Amino acid sequence: MMPRTVHEIRDPIHTFVRMDDDERKVLNSRSFQRLRHIHQLGMTYLVYPGATHRRFEHSLGVMDLASRVFDVVTDPANVGDSIRDLLRPLANPHHRSYWRRVVRMAALCHDIGHPPFSHAAEKYLMPQGWDHERLTRKIISSRDMRGIWKSMTPPLRHKDIQKLAVGPKKARDLQFSDWEAILSEIITGDAFGVDRIDYLLRDSHHAGVAYGRFDHHRLIDTLRILPKNYEGEGKISEEPALGMEEGGIQSAEALMIARYLMYSQVYFHPVRRIYDIHLRDFLKEWLAGGLFPIKLGDYLPLVDDDIVAALWIAAFDKKKKGHEHARRIIRREHFKVIYELNPVDAGVNPEAADAIFSALKSKYHTSLFRYDYYRQSGGSTDFPVKLRDGRIVSSLSVSEALNNIPIVTIGRVFVDRAYFDGACRWLEDSRDGIIALQREGDDGQAG
Amino acid sequence: MVLSRFNGRETMGRLDRLQRAVLLARLIEELRAENSWCGETHVQKATYIAQSVVGIEMGFEFILYKHGPFSFDLRDELTALRADRLVELELKWPYGPRIAATDRISRIQKYHPKTLRKYEGKIRFVADVLGSKDVVDLERLGTAFFVSRLSGVKNARDDEIAGRICRLKRHISSEEAIAALQQARKIEAEARKEFPS
Repeated sequence: MMPRTVHEIRDPIHTFVRMDDDERKVLNSRSFQRLRHIHQLGMTYLVYPGATHRRFEHSLGVMDLASRVFDVVTDPANVGDSIRDLLRPLANPHHRSYWRRVVRMAALCHDIGHPPFSHAAEKYLMPQGWDHERLTRKIISSRDMRGIWKSMTPPLRHKDIQKLAVGPKKARDLQFSDWEAILSEIITGDAFGVDRIDYLLRDSHHAGVAYGRFDHHRLIDTLRILPKNYEGEGKISEEPALGMEEGGIQSAEALMIARYLMYSQVYFHPVRRIYDIHLRDFLKEWLAGGLFPIKLGDYLPLVDDDIVAALWIAAFDKKKKGHEHARRIIRREHFKVIYELNPVDAGVNPEAADAIFSALKSKYHTSLFRYDYYRQSGGSTDFPVKLRDGRIVSSLSVSEALNNIPIVTIGRVFVDRAYFDGACRWLEDSRDGIIALQREGDDGQAG
Repeated sequence: MVLSRFNGRETMGRLDRLQRAVLLARLIEELRAENSWCGETHVQKATYIAQSVVGIEMGFEFILYKHGPFSFDLRDELTALRADRLVELELKWPYGPRIAATDRISRIQKYHPKTLRKYEGKIRFVADVLGSKDVVDLERLGTAFFVSRLSGVKNARDDEIAGRICRLKRHISSEEAIAALQQARKIEAEARKEFPS
């Protein structure tokens, strides 16, 4: 057999990302090369000028990290007996080798279906039932990509790559074995998914902020597949989950704190968010039918560059579709925050921002206001930790820090600058009445 | 007043977010009153059975995943409820976290008497049936409910369904799967009798 050539790609986060000839076929595919033209953080560069990096290099980083985690958690020295019994593929070197390749390719392709400007406008501009994960699955299973999977040694099943690339949350039609669930957790997991590890480090680096840094080397070295067998006082389940050895707990704390800080300081920066909303409004008018196409022949050629060019033209030409929204972005005339959900109002009504948005729209006009709503998704920071004496306990039992990391929650209302002062005065007088909860009427609806 | 937003999605079931929060909190309270540990697994399985067996339309989508039927939407919603301080986690070494309703949701429940009245019998039924069960019992029972409702399985024999359960959850034995299936059928029959509509 011919030795495989190893290709090295320089990377600012991981120094070198290495891949072989088979893997480079994926890198060179049209679908993957497209990611060179999709900004990782949408229009965040309008607030943090350095944040111009693309999905391309993030995907390479995720692949590199995924195989590092795979190697650690499947190292026989790191696998306990109960886990070895449950995860049969670990026992067979060929299976292990096959799945290692699947993990790398799924990690490389996990974002391959992203629309232009990543998440900025995705939610409102995809046809019903579609999101970037579904497009990722579609691209992975496309004829071009299937040809690449088949040509690999050993050939890979595209369904396996799909599963691990998007995980069970976004592949609800597929059933995951315990083994597949663990492998998808390596990429997309809430706690230690390498997607998150890479984007925190990379986004932090490019945005020029220190919030996203943590000791990911230590974190990865201490990851283990463990039975999550501590929930409650009764009989315990041996179902496996991704956890860690006690010695890594501080690096896990640092990861979770980094996540919180990056979300609150970068990803949910109010000006960054309003640019996303203006971009969404622009695309709604600019795209044919107000939606991204989902036919790959139409979807794949569409990249950020097309949209930036259209924005520049529309911003200075009143006759062009989306002129108002383009002007707000290009000439930096974005809407301003008029209300932000705070702990006092949330104590009265957790949906206070929604109520204020509705009231302002009724008082003035819908077109003058925008609403930004986010509640952190994913579970708590509960994962199994193997203590030095061999016991397995909840991370929340051993880490005060993990118990106290705030959950990101955003409820903001933005207003057209021209109406800011008047709307502020009206809101000042009306706020308490607007957010007060009302008792249900006889029809079971709020009164 | 608009109260229908649910993480930006307004298509999940007929209940709005606060109504769902009020019901989830009541389910948690009732489970704990029945001495349930009430960790995430307990709430996940109880919500699955509340939806699929007694028909409380909370709109969470379940798949077969962690310890049986599992809803990522519900997981996200529990996190959002923690963010809003409507539920909280309690710890007791060396076990995992328990979920508890807070005073804040108790206050909001007072604004939703109709919703609570409509569903409290069903919630109590679920808590009665599941309150004493641990994670292993819930995993087997929830998986039995879920697998027996899959298309192409409904008319299969118990040993065939049990075989499927064992293939999906390798740590569940055939005998355990059959026992769980029988228990699921008994609970379904009781639910039909109690809530005929």
